[in-house]
Amino acid sequence: MSRAFVLRAGGVLALLALWWAASAAGIWPEVFVPKPESVWSSLVETWTDGYAGHPLWEHLGVSLRRILLGSLYGVLGGVVAGLLIGLVPTVRALLGPLVTFVRTLPPLAYFSLLVIWFGIDETPKVVLLFVAALPPVAVATADAVRGVHEDYVHAARSLGATRRQIPFLIVLPSALPELMTGIRVAVGVAYTTVVAAETVNGVPGIGGMIRDAQRYNQSDVVVLGLLVIGASGLLIDALLQLAERRLAPWRGRA
Amino acid sequence: MARPGLTPVTTLERSTTVKLKSLTAAAALLLGLTACSSADGSGSGEANADGTPRELRIAYQLIPNGDLIVKDRGWLEEALPDTEITWSRFDSGGDVNTAILAGSVDIGLAGSSPVARGLSAPLDIAYKVPWIFDVIGENEALVARDASSVAELKGKKIAAPFASTTHYSLLAALQDAGLKEDDVTLVDLEPQDIQAAWTRGDIDAAYVWTPVLGELQKDGRTLVTSRDLAAKGRVTADLAVVRTAFADRYPEALAVWLRQQDRAVKLVREDKAAASAAVGRQLGLSPEEAGRQIDQLILLDGEEQQGAGHLGTAAAPGALAQTLRSTAEFLRTQKTVDAVPELTVFQQALAADALAEAFGG
Repeated sequence: MSRAFVLRAGGVLALLALWWAASAAGIWPEVFVPKPESVWSSLVETWTDGYAGHPLWEHLGVSLRRILLGSLYGVLGGVVAGLLIGLVPTVRALLGPLVTFVRTLPPLAYFSLLVIWFGIDETPKVVLLFVAALPPVAVATADAVRGVHEDYVHAARSLGATRRQIPFLIVLPSALPELMTGIRVAVGVAYTTVVAAETVNGVPGIGGMIRDAQRYNQSDVVVLGLLVIGASGLLIDALLQLAERRLAPWRGRA
Repeated sequence: MARPGLTPVTTLERSTTVKLKSLTAAAALLLGLTACSSADGSGSGEANADGTPRELRIAYQLIPNGDLIVKDRGWLEEALPDTEITWSRFDSGGDVNTAILAGSVDIGLAGSSPVARGLSAPLDIAYKVPWIFDVIGENEALVARDASSVAELKGKKIAAPFASTTHYSLLAALQDAGLKEDDVTLVDLEPQDIQAAWTRGDIDAAYVWTPVLGELQKDGRTLVTSRDLAAKGRVTADLAVVRTAFADRYPEALAVWLRQQDRAVKLVREDKAAASAAVGRQLGLSPEEAGRQIDQLILLDGEEQQGAGHLGTAAAPGALAQTLRSTAEFLRTQKTVDAVPELTVFQQALAADALAEAFGG
């Protein structure tokens, strides 16, 4: 643990030192490479005074809410779609290509359509995150469901389980480890998509804050926003990993 | 993961060293690349044997003024045959500021708000204003669905593209009507999104420019135009900005550029049909519609640019300096600039000497 920890801390410190040196050398104007101390002071200022009329925690909270809702709907929809794709051959033929198609679409490309259909408030943003988060879960679930050991199903059937009980009592639990990986990927995708979702009426929101700052060439706030997104993303992924270990403790031990 | 012949510890050490090495290499490469690009940007490029610049990089925007006529007619290419001229399209003055900071553009078009911001801290961009493309008139206006005065917008949802001239004009109009920013809900939307939101009924009003403005005016009511605000001293304009390094090194090329702009303004006055056709081609509009949009702007020829109300002369800088300074003061209250420079900073940023060189006076 100590060795890994030292390496990680060392890496972060080295990057910080490189950043500080690059900005202190003064080769580039501050707009290109903002100083670490101006990023720090913009953190203090956005936390207390706020940016664009909202404090930093509100920007982050609103974005997290969008990510949470979008991922939640995405996971629910993805599990259902994945189960159907994995278990029913007809649905697999129908939905399989569609899921792959949606997965390759860049969110910014179809977001303008969502704005026309759903307006400028919360709905199009959550729908965008939902559409982005669904395919990874659907694909992971479908693959996991098809990979379930037949012996489990046969054993359950011979012990008297009905056809309806099989997907929920046998297939889903045994697909849980892969499903959790799918969820982690989905939340990551939702995280990267939130900036796209907040290009339209995105304030408050961490992506909207970055976009606003970028337009006023306030690079220190842009860097701050990126750091906040990165740090909160790490934290959430750590929480999901913890949940994975709790929910599927047998993973990797089979 | 253990490889034959190596203990796990050695493997770890080896892979760490390799990682560190490649990381250092990547960092060095990155530094080198940025250093190169910034070295390119801070200079003014190479000159031809006759003293004209080898290249001239222009940032234009789709605004129905003389710049599009110069571009459409290829006048600049004709007048500077040995110079490679690149026209890059930009959608906002903020992006033009960034491009000039990065040294990738020599002459650009930006609204008075972005220029005031560029001349103030923290940006402090080394550029000058040699020309006013247009003073914004009826082509930017505040339109509402069910309100007959600005004061009636209290509690309503109003959209504008933030950081633009309309954002400035909207806040100025609200202030003039005795409304505070908190009295309304301001929404930051790009023009095409404003049109969508308006059609769906998501917003009650918007301050926006043509062509979206025209769509809103079909079923909305115009409360105030930028021409009305200009009459009250809240002038907004589309300005040319030239990198100081470029202006100092190639005064003749700048004079040639200025004379083409003057020629375009005169074409609008003398041969409206030809001017409308040129602008129409660039905007993808019919000549009639292009002509109507040109009329909404106030265009100034070379002589008028030197008037006291505009750029003025080197001895007596024009009122544009004061306009830019009041814009910066306003931006200070919005916290988008750190400090408002002295009036002399803005006066020095007016390239009246370049105008005098091009047109005499």
